[in-house]
Amino acid sequence: MTDTVVGDNTIVFAEGIPGFPDHREFQLVDFADGESAFQLLQSTTDPDLSMIVCSPWIFFPDYAPEISDADRDGLELVNPDDAVVFCPVTIDSEASLSVNLLGPFVVNAGNRHGRQVVLVDSDYAVRTPIEIVAT
Amino acid sequence: MLVLSRREGESVVIGNDIVVTVLEVRGGQIRLGVEAPRSLQVHREEIFREVSEANRTAMGSTDEHQARLDAARKRTD
Repeated sequence: MTDTVVGDNTIVFAEGIPGFPDHREFQLVDFADGESAFQLLQSTTDPDLSMIVCSPWIFFPDYAPEISDADRDGLELVNPDDAVVFCPVTIDSEASLSVNLLGPFVVNAGNRHGRQVVLVDSDYAVRTPIEIVAT
Repeated sequence: MLVLSRREGESVVIGNDIVVTVLEVRGGQIRLGVEAPRSLQVHREEIFREVSEANRTAMGSTDEHQARLDAARKRTD
């Protein structure tokens, strides 16, 4: 597994993502202000629909998601090194940040197919607080 | 809702290629085995709902995200 984020080519989520079943294609887009820790996962059909994402290892170096065989098969992930993992970030109305460690996005860098997987029997939480890192 | 009675070891077939089998019934808990095409994700419902809800909260426009990020930076300054 690698914590580098793929380029800004289209990633196909064949089943959509939970809550947004109609959006199947997304791109990773940089923030215009040069922000380095976070990127946007943006729908290619609706640029106003995006989600902040980050590499979980920036904040949780020991993060160890176990991708199920079913998800590996679904992504045709043969080589584990092809898995690119990033997590949704939420900034609430109090400007507090949290990262979803239970439902990471996994992209097969080989075929650019992605899935939001839900880790099974895991202690990771959907809202894990993080503090912004001064850059 | 379609309601079917099944015993341990019995299954229901959904469409042509999804099979749900009752593996074990013990106490108040049932263990299910799900065979489905690998293109279909299978989730525990409450966790799927939690992730869906979190996604809906996290979604916004680029401008909204930039504003929230700016606010978060300000808060930590």
